Amino acid sequence: MISPRSLAVSRISGRLLLSDPAPMIVTIAMPLILAPFLVPAARAQLQLAGYATAGGGDQVIPGLAVLFAFLSTQLVGTLFFREHAWGTWDRLRASPASTADIVVGKVAPLYLAQLAQFGVLLTVGALLFGFRPDGSVAALAVVAAVFAAMLVAYAVMLVALCPTMDMALVLGNLGGMVMAGLGGALAPVSSLPQWAQAVAHISPAYWALDAMRSITLDHAGLPGVAGPVGILLLFGVGFGVVAAWRFRPAAVKIGTT
Amino acid sequence: MLRVAGVTKAYGEHPVLRGVDLDVAAGQILGLVGANGAGKTTLISIITGLRRCDGGSVAVGGVDALDHPKRVAGSLGLAPQELGIYPTLTARENLYDFARLAGMSRWAARTRTADVADLLDLTEQLGLRGDQLSGGQKRRLHTAMAILHRPRLLLLDEPTVGADVTSRAGILEIVRAMAAADTAVLYTTHYLTELEQLDAEIAVLDGGVVAVRGSCREVILRWGTASVALRFSGPAPELAGWTADGSRLAPSQPVADPGAAAAAALVALGPQVTRLVGVDVTRPSLESAYLAITGRAFSEEAESDLAA
Repeated sequence: MISPRSLAVSRISGRLLLSDPAPMIVTIAMPLILAPFLVPAARAQLQLAGYATAGGGDQVIPGLAVLFAFLSTQLVGTLFFREHAWGTWDRLRASPASTADIVVGKVAPLYLAQLAQFGVLLTVGALLFGFRPDGSVAALAVVAAVFAAMLVAYAVMLVALCPTMDMALVLGNLGGMVMAGLGGALAPVSSLPQWAQAVAHISPAYWALDAMRSITLDHAGLPGVAGPVGILLLFGVGFGVVAAWRFRPAAVKIGTT
Repeated sequence: MLRVAGVTKAYGEHPVLRGVDLDVAAGQILGLVGANGAGKTTLISIITGLRRCDGGSVAVGGVDALDHPKRVAGSLGLAPQELGIYPTLTARENLYDFARLAGMSRWAARTRTADVADLLDLTEQLGLRGDQLSGGQKRRLHTAMAILHRPRLLLLDEPTVGADVTSRAGILEIVRAMAAADTAVLYTTHYLTELEQLDAEIAVLDGGVVAVRGSCREVILRWGTASVALRFSGPAPELAGWTADGSRLAPSQPVADPGAAAAAALVALGPQVTRLVGVDVTRPSLESAYLAITGRAFSEEAESDLAA
């Protein structure tokens, strides 16, 4: 359960997100703008792969959702680093809230925003771009929930490791693009170069998309995605451990307003 | 309410605090003054748990603040030296959210937000975003966020930097009101006249320790010096017992009665007095006492702060 102090910090973070909603809107609108351009090619690729009745949306929508979920982790970095730039970080630290309260409180609205982003993309994808999750919708929700949690841990790790906001944003975006691309967000892994296919498994995006693909194309339910979800959990725990190990509340961080 | 004993802190090889002892009682205002880099902000950071010290002890309301920083956090109100408000949130949201963070209920937070805004003359600005406020309004909001939860110990680190005359007066009024309500106040500033206006107890942090402590009156009586300087058109004339510096002529030794010293000098100067363009007389003040204690040019520090 989230503590009252974390809830109080979450209230602030939620307001901050809503006071400047442009980045959130972009990460939701951009994939919807890109989707129609990518659907025809994706449909052809899926049909070549043996899914004769699949629409391109079954590949494109989860792929773009995963890619832009990675890119939206920059919001986590922005929220943390701006606290330093605004001089409010020390205020939070001097409050009765513990460091854990503050971190949980700051990322909780971002986690919900990630889930909302998934929800909107998958719903609009189903309505407009032929995304048809034939398997368990509950399993899809579980994959999205675990993947979003893993991304939040990844973002906090970047905050812990990077001394400046610019560095965190660059590493976040670069890392996100590489992991999403390698994991099959832009094209099925089977269509990637051999070297990329060989290392695709090291990307959490691969496991998220593998699970979504199983649900969408192979009618999988919760048991069918337990493996990939477990691996996503391991990634999340790994990122979380590094974040907890390296996070220094008193560290000087350079953010921009 | 606050007891600091033997606190030491070094940054690498550079010791900043060499054994600071001070205490602030409930209802007392303690003005902590010292040069830039003397360790005032470091000491406040240690008291609030933002930094660790190398040695010594800090107790707030009898609770060990170093071992249990979160237990005492609810008793503390901190307005850090750097402005700390959310520019994209309204003044009301800034206040209300920090009241909730301090553990207040919705109703109490809403009521206290309105009360504190009224106290600091921010009621009309409650709906404005932080970045829409003037410099003085931001500074008042910053201070207001520290007093929302009626702290028992209020730590104000240069709270009036950048504030206009009205805002400064408002902040000083709040400090007086908080002290009157039995809050212990630790107040750092480079504007020594503020401490005279608050009739604060003074602690001068110098060389990593509290070098002098006493009431304003005691410090001025003990350390304050008077001075006089004569200004001339062109180079200052020579006069025994006086030192010329460009167009200025000042006594080589401190004088007890600057008026009498000036009168004697004018008589001794004879016809050269026609080049006299001004007489500067400085009465004993906290500033002159501070200068005598630290041997530093206080005004230069304040100017460098403003420039920064």
